[in-house]
Amino acid sequence: MKKHLLLAVSLFALALQPTPSAAQSPAELNDLQIAHVAYVADNIDIRYAHLALAISTNPAIHEFARTMIRDHTAVNEQALALLKKLNAQPQDNFLSRQLTANSEKLVDEMSKLRGAEFDKRYAENELAYHKAVNDLVSNAFIPNIENAEVKSLFEAGLKTFKAHEHHAEMMVKAVSK
Amino acid sequence: MIRRLFIRKAAAAIAAATFPASYLSLSGRAIARPRRHRVEIEGFRFTPDRLEVAVGDTITWINRDIAPHTATATDGGWNTGELVKDAEASVTVVSGMQTTYFCAFHPMMKARFSITPKDQ
Repeated sequence: MKKHLLLAVSLFALALQPTPSAAQSPAELNDLQIAHVAYVADNIDIRYAHLALAISTNPAIHEFARTMIRDHTAVNEQALALLKKLNAQPQDNFLSRQLTANSEKLVDEMSKLRGAEFDKRYAENELAYHKAVNDLVSNAFIPNIENAEVKSLFEAGLKTFKAHEHHAEMMVKAVSK
Repeated sequence: MIRRLFIRKAAAAIAAATFPASYLSLSGRAIARPRRHRVEIEGFRFTPDRLEVAVGDTITWINRDIAPHTATATDGGWNTGELVKDAEASVTVVSGMQTTYFCAFHPMMKARFSITPKDQ
């Protein structure tokens, strides 16, 4: 009897998981694929920040990088807690893979720079990256997310990323002087 | 035991009714009692971003954002430390303290309070 009940619960949980689809545009991604993209995007920015801490000697760049690590880690922790609560797993997809591939190239490029040249490239990339991600989250993700709790988390996350975009604008001005 | 508890409660009720927001000093002037102020941090803003406080009052900051924040005096004289989501910290207002502050993690977040004389 107990075994039957467990099987029924497991089947019900499986039914709640959206079937992975071969989405080709960001607007076609399901909630779990969107969650995966967000998690990957957060980790990419954390990786850039660690690179900045390793290469830059500019205290303002260090301060900014530490904030990126702190904030993106906090957003990822909230996302993982929500996925755990929903008993769901993020799903890999074309956009996550595309973001990762692009970041690999950028890390290679930035790793070769030093001094003011690195600081300028890092700050400019932070601005461009947050602008691109904010556009994606505002226009492709939030309007298409079905789960109310996931949508609410993305709305809260967007406030953080918009603040980062503004902060990055200030950084670009500061290192371009 | 029950009687003692009742007396304590009754005394507290009388005190609250007699001194709701202020009490009389020996000189007969009304003196404001210390107040508690709350500042919510949400959407990368301090709300309210302007406060009127008096020496002895307490200001409590509570962070509603996912991102951690601080309330840090611009001269570094006082600091709440890192406030993660839903955490709070308080600072007691003292004479001469710095009244402008910002978030040490997000320096574009700024706010202030002004200290008014305690005697009314």
